[in-house]
Amino acid sequence: MRIDPARCLGCNRCVDYCMLNCISKADNICTIKEEECVDCGVCLRANVCPVHAIFMPEECYEYPRAVRMQFSDPGVQHPALKAWGRGTEEAKTNDVTGKFGKGEYGLLLEFGRPCTGTRFTEVEKVTVAMRKLGIPILEDNPLYGLLESDDSGRFKKEFVNEKVLSAILELRIHEEELEEIIGTIMPLLENVDTVVSVGLVTRFDDDAKLPVAEKLKAMGFTVRPNAKINVGLGRPLID
Amino acid sequence: MSHSLHRFGTVEDLKNDFCIYARCARGVNRDHPGEKLRRILDIYLSEDFVNFGSSHAGKSYVNGLDPEDYKETLDNAYGIIISFADRNAVKGVLTKIRDAQLGISIVVSGLIDEVVNIAHECGLKPHTATLSLGIFGNKSLLPKDETLKITTMCGHSLIGTPLVESTCEKVRQAKLTPEKAAEIIAKPCTCGIFNTRRCAELIRKQLENIN
Repeated sequence: MRIDPARCLGCNRCVDYCMLNCISKADNICTIKEEECVDCGVCLRANVCPVHAIFMPEECYEYPRAVRMQFSDPGVQHPALKAWGRGTEEAKTNDVTGKFGKGEYGLLLEFGRPCTGTRFTEVEKVTVAMRKLGIPILEDNPLYGLLESDDSGRFKKEFVNEKVLSAILELRIHEEELEEIIGTIMPLLENVDTVVSVGLVTRFDDDAKLPVAEKLKAMGFTVRPNAKINVGLGRPLID
Repeated sequence: MSHSLHRFGTVEDLKNDFCIYARCARGVNRDHPGEKLRRILDIYLSEDFVNFGSSHAGKSYVNGLDPEDYKETLDNAYGIIISFADRNAVKGVLTKIRDAQLGISIVVSGLIDEVVNIAHECGLKPHTATLSLGIFGNKSLLPKDETLKITTMCGHSLIGTPLVESTCEKVRQAKLTPEKAAEIIAKPCTCGIFNTRRCAELIRKQLENIN
């Protein structure tokens, strides 16, 4: 995003709309720190600029910069998956896809959320460790196409320093691997320069209970009282 | 996207906060879902909803999205989401969607025990849950808890600390009502899962704690 200095009145109305504090005022005009901006478009859509000085420059649509808006603006379609935003179905359609079966979990590591943003350098700290451990990175995820094809878990060099509002790393874990994999990955998050919201996909048992909750508690996690629940209305149902 | 997960708060202040997402699955039922999504939207709108929106239109209902205009765009969509502040409305929606037998996956975000109970009351068997284990990493980057309760209602992280804190300050100065402040804060959340009623209530509680 950019603010046209010839038009800007320095009224400050746009400043609070940037969740990453990229807009500041100097010499009576507001400017956007473009290296830190993730091109989410919030300041533009807020429509608070009285002289329409905020705009998306052409170069924001060119690679590698274009990945910023693909991961940060939910109104932009992700080209690899033909899906919008971060673009993963995870558990939302699990009743008809069976992506996560009984005896399996999905671990969702959402880098940069809430409202911090992340560079792919921070995600790479985990993807490289995952590959060394032989943990696969799911292919139907927008991050997959940005990785080197050598299975190292490294991002292609043109993307690794790009910054996005958030990016979700998804893992499929078998029941018996839960402690080992979580025990390996979670300490890595202590060394990232961003925040990571962590989710776990799990099937309900036949009594509508979630046995993994007790396991997680025993591992020292606090499972939050609210969750996303697929209520099983999709058809044909994969039980 | 796990955007309605990770809404931060206590059990008490999350009890009137629900999102319902109807989502078509790639390779299963994602081709030409327009008619089914329009029926689901009609069902949503038949109950006491709070907000819904369209990332493509770039605005939510509380900021001017017309339901009829939105309906016309659903041939090119694969999911619709809406927020509620009342368990009876959620129960009403699930019962009607169950009876309509549309075959689209439905996800409800809310307190786990409450959502499971509602599902049982509707004769449904919960299938899969996505649990929130919280926030890790450099937590010094986070705002105070009262702000986090509001910002995390936009799961795409489009509502940030500066907007929340400056708008709440205007309420403290009696320049805005909590309800008007909630509408202003909701503006960047174009998909409409931001629960403005819960936001106004949280702001009101912040004021009570100050006074």
